[in-house]
Amino acid sequence: MSHTVLVVEDDLDVRQALMEVVEENGFAALGARDGAEALLLLARATELPCVILLDLMMPVMDGASFREAQRRDPRLAPIPVVVLSAYRDVDRHASSLDAVTVLAKPPSVRELVDVLRAHC
Amino acid sequence: MTSSPSEPDIAHPESSDAAGFRSVDERFRALVSSVKDYAIFMLDPSGRIETWNAGAERTKGYTADEIIGEHISRFYTPEDLARGLPAKLLAQARLDGRVESEGWRVRKDGTRFWADVVITALVNDRGELMGYAKVTRDLTERLRAQEEQLRLAHAEEAVRLRDEFLSIAAHELRTPLSAVQLQLQALLERPEGLDPRTRAKVERACRSGERLVTLVDTLLDVSRMTTGSFNLVLSRFDITVAVQEVVDRFREHAIRAGSSVTVRSEGVLEGRWDRLRIEQVVTNLLTNALKYAAGTPVEITLTGTEHDVTMMVSDAGPGIPPSEQERIFLRFERAAPMRNFGGLGLGLYVARQIVEAHGGQIQLAHPVPKGAHFVIRLPRSHSPETAG
Repeated sequence: MSHTVLVVEDDLDVRQALMEVVEENGFAALGARDGAEALLLLARATELPCVILLDLMMPVMDGASFREAQRRDPRLAPIPVVVLSAYRDVDRHASSLDAVTVLAKPPSVRELVDVLRAHC
Repeated sequence: MTSSPSEPDIAHPESSDAAGFRSVDERFRALVSSVKDYAIFMLDPSGRIETWNAGAERTKGYTADEIIGEHISRFYTPEDLARGLPAKLLAQARLDGRVESEGWRVRKDGTRFWADVVITALVNDRGELMGYAKVTRDLTERLRAQEEQLRLAHAEEAVRLRDEFLSIAAHELRTPLSAVQLQLQALLERPEGLDPRTRAKVERACRSGERLVTLVDTLLDVSRMTTGSFNLVLSRFDITVAVQEVVDRFREHAIRAGSSVTVRSEGVLEGRWDRLRIEQVVTNLLTNALKYAAGTPVEITLTGTEHDVTMMVSDAGPGIPPSEQERIFLRFERAAPMRNFGGLGLGLYVARQIVEAHGGQIQLAHPVPKGAHFVIRLPRSHSPETAG
């Protein structure tokens, strides 16, 4: 099973912080700054990530649109998605996205690592 | 079919009927004069009033004796008179045969009403102007309803824009905080560890970040609560479990405050509530207890009946003087002086809003031997439609 985590997050500092947490805990990290870039990365990838950490509010292509496109693609659809959002009521915003986990920002590192371990 | 003696004889308009009308003309006149919802009257070619019906009296306030012979300019506002509106409308009716307009008109008592007016020119076979027929409808109520509808629509739009702004503002504030928190937590989690001084500094920074997140959320909540755009998401759960989880999260905080926090419960106490909001109530009460009654034991007791659950959060601190007991639930209020304790003064206000939205009550128990004892009663099931 792949040990790569795809971090889809528009804020550079948050993306880098998340990627560092991923890497410091023994996984490989790939970063994309919006849904469109993430789809491009996934299209080119020879090995698919074990989990996608997905932000919701992003320019170009937001989290919901990315998830829609991902679910339509049979190759990408099985990759579990963890929604990570700074929305106050993140559960409500993520309710239709069928994510394996929904985490409010800022997530606790332990919580995040537990989720990664469960799926990678 | 034969007409009965008491019914008007439609087939023979010239014959006299039971009410004494001799012609269709008379009947029509009687009909017009009895209409109450429309002011229907006739004017001579110069615009002086010749007839008056019940609707005209009702709409404009004049009796027939008072108004017949007067000019229609009586009904116009000084602004409309200044721009010669009555004469203009009559001229247009004469030119086009008919004119319709809406505008303010003045009653006998000086009050104004919004009128829909139709003036029809009455012309004889030779094309000579005989006068005008004027039909006026009072549309003030309809105008008010439209204005009210518009005002409501504007208010709803303003609330929507504000909610959207708050949602984005909260999102934007939380995003950099996320980066800060993640970096600090990652430092604490490093396998090689940190030296004790650095660890203590990072832990303090982490706690401050957590407080900032809570403050952002509280401000957002209060803003929603004050404008009523605050919704509950109900689910069935055991409140004892939820309370215990909050207390577990407060373990370190309690140690720093020198307080112990004990939960006593009768066991499983299920109900339909908004779990996040109920946890917020417990969080706010615990935060207060650990802040104002630091160093004293805090106890949370949960009991239930068939219909509701009661939670008591008690500490053994200085307590709240009777004079302050209602004020503390208001926004930006606190019992303790601000110079001693910081904070927004919103915790109990938020708690009360949440509890009341669930159809419950929060109050201080009194008299109590020592400390503050908050009692919260929550119905096990509450329809949010009745929550207001």
